[in-house]
Amino acid sequence: MIQTTKLVKTFKNGDVFTPVLRGIDFQAREGEWVAIMGRSGAGKSTLLYQMSLLDDPTEGKVIIDGHDTHTMSASEKMRFRLMKFGFVFQDYALLPELSALENIALPLPMQGLTKGEAYGESIAAMERANLGHRLGNLPSQLSGGEQQRVSIVRAVAHKPKILFADEPTANLDNESAKRIMEIFTELHRGGQTIIMVTHEDQYAKLTQRIVQLDDGKIISEQRS
Amino acid sequence: MPLNVRIGFFLALRALKRASLWTTGLIIFVMVLTFLNLVVVSGILVGLLQGAIDQTRTKFTSDVIVSALNDKKYIENSPNLISLIETLPEVESITPRYREGGILEANYKTRKETDKANTAMAQLVGIDPYKENAVTGIGNDIVEGSFLAPGDYDQVVLGHYLLKQYIPIESPAFSTLENVGIGTKIRMKVGDVTREVTVKGIIRSKVDEIALRAFMVDSQFRSMIGRNDGNVTEISIKLHDGADPIAVREALERSGVDKYAKVQTYEDAQPQFLKDIIATFNMLGNVFSSLGLIVATITIFIVIFINALTRRKFIGILKGIGIDGRAIEFSYVFQSIFYASLGSVVGLGLVYGLLVPFFAAHPIDFPFSDGILVAPVDQTLFRVGLLVFSTVVAGYIPAWMIIRKNTLDSILGRN
Repeated sequence: MIQTTKLVKTFKNGDVFTPVLRGIDFQAREGEWVAIMGRSGAGKSTLLYQMSLLDDPTEGKVIIDGHDTHTMSASEKMRFRLMKFGFVFQDYALLPELSALENIALPLPMQGLTKGEAYGESIAAMERANLGHRLGNLPSQLSGGEQQRVSIVRAVAHKPKILFADEPTANLDNESAKRIMEIFTELHRGGQTIIMVTHEDQYAKLTQRIVQLDDGKIISEQRS
Repeated sequence: MPLNVRIGFFLALRALKRASLWTTGLIIFVMVLTFLNLVVVSGILVGLLQGAIDQTRTKFTSDVIVSALNDKKYIENSPNLISLIETLPEVESITPRYREGGILEANYKTRKETDKANTAMAQLVGIDPYKENAVTGIGNDIVEGSFLAPGDYDQVVLGHYLLKQYIPIESPAFSTLENVGIGTKIRMKVGDVTREVTVKGIIRSKVDEIALRAFMVDSQFRSMIGRNDGNVTEISIKLHDGADPIAVREALERSGVDKYAKVQTYEDAQPQFLKDIIATFNMLGNVFSSLGLIVATITIFIVIFINALTRRKFIGILKGIGIDGRAIEFSYVFQSIFYASLGSVVGLGLVYGLLVPFFAAHPIDFPFSDGILVAPVDQTLFRVGLLVFSTVVAGYIPAWMIIRKNTLDSILGRN
């Protein structure tokens, strides 16, 4: 489903070049839940951004569903992200002036749904996530756990091929983090492909496979 | 409506709804000030002269003025002309005037032989007080004494420019009468004829043609200048409300009046220098307006730029979740339109609901006119369009600058 070949990412700051990814070969099958782990600065978030087409690699390829994304234009990549990916960020990345419901419904018309369908599906998805009583609340009126649940509902509302999650529990207390991981587990059982960056072993163990990164290279892969 | 426009409109609505009331209020306040700068500065400049033009029309020429040809001292066949004018359906009232250049002298009783005579050059005018008041209402502008009555004998009303206490100017080219007030006897000299008259009233006007004249009853003036044929020098014609002065001028020209008199509407009678000054002031007004527009454009640019910069992360998120950059640009354009439109609406309300009526009721007391605020609706709407257009451009550019930045850099706050 997703494959990277000799992926290299080097950041340039003036005359200083900082290699972050050093030739990553990675693949994930459809329906697989993979955890990417590593110490701070290992390159795990950078790898996630390259695979999710939020950033362009310096060298190497990202192939998704047989499409070589290297040849895509910026607007094609945006369209690809819109239609095939869902994103969950560490800091929830909700738009502060939109209600929880609006945050979820906003991208759906871009994916071909009518306004009525977008709101209908969003309400149903929020109710499934036990957020039916928070439809009209602004992000600032929600707890961290609730905000992350809204973020997940937004990410999967359009049934993406791949859900990318960047440290989704990093800002949450234990109780909220467990609830978030329960949602991920349910999504995975439903066949959702998930690629998740985390530094917490207890949550990585819930996934099918753990990929360890260090200094921009994969140092180990293990079934959990 | 295209999806990007709809999403842009939705995002703009939410951004405005959740924005700080103080910030929104401040931006709209700047827009209102800009609008007022656009409309009021040039409006006052033009209004300064429009006030003078309006007063000349009201107090002197009225809607149409018929006057002697340049090489004649009077209008030939005036009685027939007056009859003809009075038959025109548009005419409400007329005031025929006799006019001659003359000299007024004040201190002739008290001065010694070695003293200089206190004289002033003036236009001496004979009028029918009732008719004059019906057309120009100058009787209401008396500041001392009273206006003429038909039976007044050897009495005059002087324009205030003829009196030193009103115009304390020492100039070899311009002399005024000293120590002359109500009841003072002065001499009027026209050609070889001199008559002693009593000052009955003093009229104060910003119209030179009134302020530099001495008025007396027409029957008296006729006997003084020896004109018994009824031929007058000028006739001011007041029309009914809504009547077209050009149509009346053309009707008189068709009757051949222009062969023995000058027929002019109040606009024709404006001196060329006044028209030139109006054009100059219009140009100056446009320069000031343009500066105001540039200030407004920069203000909106800065406001939107700072807004977009501080919201760069959320712009990144919007792009990250698949919202088209154009939808985000539209949202900033709509916000700019909102600021400019609301500012203009408040400005329009202030201009037409407050300032125009206020200045009409309380004109600015300029030395040579009572300045009003001139704000023709078509020109004002053009300026509204200009303001909205500039604001849209000023809102679009910074939004475009921020949106084209790398999505991930925006989300992560990297430069």
